[in-house]
Amino acid sequence: MHSPYPLPTDKPLSQPNLTQIWSEASIEIRQALGNSNYDLWFANARLLEVSEGTAVLQTPGSMYSIWVEENFKESLVSIFQNYLEPLTGIRCESVEADDGQEVVQDEEPDKPVEVKPKVLIEKVSKSKLRERGLKSGLVEKYNFENFVVGENSDLAAAAARAVSEQPGKTYQPLFFHSACGLGKTHLLHAIGWESLRLRPKSKIIFVTAEEFANDYINAIHKNALVAFRKKYREADLLLIDDIQFLGRKDGFQKEFFHTFNSLSDRQCQIVLASDCPASEISELEDRLSSRFQWGLTAELHRPEFETRAAILRRKRDDWNMEVSDDLINAIVERVRGNVRVLEGALIRVAMVNTMNENTVETSDVPEILSDICGDSEAASVGIDEIKEAVCEHYDIELKVLIGKKRTARVAEARQVAMFLCRTMTDHSLVDVAASFGKDHGTVIYAVKKMRAKCEQSASLKSTVELIKRRLVRGGRVKSSQPKKFPADFPNRG
Amino acid sequence: MKFQIEKDVFQEALNQVQHVVSTRTTLPILSNVLIEADELGLQLSTTDLDVTITKRIAANVSETGTTTMPARRLASIVRELPVSEINFEVNADNAASVKAGPSFFKILGLPGSEFPTIGEFGEAKEFTIDQKLLKEALRKTSYAISTDETRYVLNGVNCLIGEGLLTLVATDGRRLAMVEQDLEFPAGNETAAIIPTKAVNELQRLLEDEGEMKVSLTDSQASFELNESHLITKLIEGNYPNFRQVIPGAANHRVTVERELFHNAVKRVSLLANEKTNSIKFAFEDNQLTISANSPEVGEAEEVIDVRYDGPRIVVAFNPEFVMAPLRNLDQDEVFIDLIDESSPGVIKIDEPFLYVIMPMRVAG
Repeated sequence: MHSPYPLPTDKPLSQPNLTQIWSEASIEIRQALGNSNYDLWFANARLLEVSEGTAVLQTPGSMYSIWVEENFKESLVSIFQNYLEPLTGIRCESVEADDGQEVVQDEEPDKPVEVKPKVLIEKVSKSKLRERGLKSGLVEKYNFENFVVGENSDLAAAAARAVSEQPGKTYQPLFFHSACGLGKTHLLHAIGWESLRLRPKSKIIFVTAEEFANDYINAIHKNALVAFRKKYREADLLLIDDIQFLGRKDGFQKEFFHTFNSLSDRQCQIVLASDCPASEISELEDRLSSRFQWGLTAELHRPEFETRAAILRRKRDDWNMEVSDDLINAIVERVRGNVRVLEGALIRVAMVNTMNENTVETSDVPEILSDICGDSEAASVGIDEIKEAVCEHYDIELKVLIGKKRTARVAEARQVAMFLCRTMTDHSLVDVAASFGKDHGTVIYAVKKMRAKCEQSASLKSTVELIKRRLVRGGRVKSSQPKKFPADFPNRG
Repeated sequence: MKFQIEKDVFQEALNQVQHVVSTRTTLPILSNVLIEADELGLQLSTTDLDVTITKRIAANVSETGTTTMPARRLASIVRELPVSEINFEVNADNAASVKAGPSFFKILGLPGSEFPTIGEFGEAKEFTIDQKLLKEALRKTSYAISTDETRYVLNGVNCLIGEGLLTLVATDGRRLAMVEQDLEFPAGNETAAIIPTKAVNELQRLLEDEGEMKVSLTDSQASFELNESHLITKLIEGNYPNFRQVIPGAANHRVTVERELFHNAVKRVSLLANEKTNSIKFAFEDNQLTISANSPEVGEAEEVIDVRYDGPRIVVAFNPEFVMAPLRNLDQDEVFIDLIDESSPGVIKIDEPFLYVIMPMRVAG
């Protein structure tokens, strides 16, 4: 398996070497507490992990855990402080299955954590992993190996890697958002597979928020809420897609809130994906919204040219298609929408190419893709068209829009235009700012302001939607249909 | 509803049921005692939704009916009444007129129909047990129950029934008390239950030194029927940790000591126990036990008592309260202290199947 990423074994030590610390600390424990205490309480213990200033000891039984915590906490903290700083507490976990049988030490190999993944990978066969993954709701075709990372997605991909390697520690929760078809779901599944590969025993659940809600309704219906809660609250990794679905659904939000809390209390990793930022999910309770933004929020942007090309090349190789790199470049130039549209375009070109016995030229691509390009907002709407449409709607002249006048009406029109330029095109902040003769800070402010205003004012929101719809429609059928308000035309400069 | 009742009978019954009533409750009806009058007499019930106690008493009922009255208030009124004959009458609005000699009280109650009904008791494992046996066993263990609510499985007495034995265990992580009693129990019906602290306390109040009691256990509830009383409690859910893990193996040294003498000595010395460590020292040597406490800037205490011990000198420090708790609750004249060394857990035993594990404190010097 070739991975462009270093295996976790290669990464710098972020966790101290626990085995070594334990072997040194246990000598001190023996001295401080005496041989007999050591033999009774610590001979079969080990240092499991260190998180948030608390060292976690593993003992062979839950009664041991309780007694060690009750009787030796202070001594242990002061001993471990020599090795781990800053350390404030000690917690014990037991490995027993509550029947009190001592667990054979070999069952889990001794760590350092750094080595653990490798050892475990060899232990569980691939088919078994696959079976487990599918059972958890993971889709096989989405993994890190076939996720193409570009500038648009490098933060998201790195975060996804990090949570697969150290679930529940670094980013809790990890929240992806982007427009549709840009790889959120792919990353969710990839995290699932990677976690499974590194920790075959971990309990992973992948659901869409809608499935979560349905599950919840069924549970209420069958009077099986306990089982429902058990299922979700005992997961080690919970991946939820389309979390925006929870908006406007109070009952689920409440249930989800508790699930979220109990999982994060247990330091289980939660990864969420949404088609808009958490703050924009409509009617999402504040306490949930703030929790979603608590960890790391990573946005997936539209891929730029090189990434789009790399994605299509990989697809071509995966699907064994005969499409030249030039043709792919031609497709990518035309189609700037989401990855699904890109894939559709590739399939179309490949198909036409096969039918015409490999005679398709790059110049034929625009024609082959004529209708697909129209579907993509980004490809069809430009800054100028947006300005035009906004001027039309507010009945002002273009030079006023990009001028310095700041009456309420003009200021609003300007903000709407900037907002649309940012949301409907993939022009950079600087480009948009330049086209209005302003600096980029103004654009950021305008976009932010618009988002907030749209939340408050339904009429503004519908205005924006109206202009947007008109643009999308107009963009596609410009030549065949006159504009809606021909009377405005003479007004324009 | 109308009845005539003897003050002492009424007072005692109210005393037995009123402890269940919680002082701070969100549901007013839970502060009340349910009074049901039928031809045979009265039935009094209280509940906090976890523990429910019902008690039957004799009364001269002239008109049957049901009502609820504020339990604590009724109990204190009845206690203060000047004569032994009480006339109790409740009107349709649940207002009770209580007449006793020259005194008259009007007490406002709530309708009996609002009182929560006790859930149906499902299929249960049943057995009878000697009241005295259970009372003793609870007394010998219940003081070690953990009050740490984060360890909720330890907030009760763990009962194990099987192999002809009833085993009761309680621990708080620093000490552990265990009793084993012979118990005839249908084979194949081995079971385990964690009885919560409150039910343990109430049960100890109800249990007497004679007679038997019927116990029924389901997975989530336990019922105890004895004399004229009936206690139903929820059980603590979860698995009790394996307590045998912390019971030390064979001891190296055994000290035999007179319980009463030992208890009183510890009690006196503990008056000057070190406030910071809350420990006192026990030095065993040459048939003598020296108990000493040293509290900087406060003072010192020391007491020497005769014991039977001929091993090497051992000095070990314990929390005095943890030493006194079992001594207070045992009846035997002699107790044994088994020690391995100065830092390993000590064990207090008697000549019956009982043991008490206690962790020594680590004290410099």
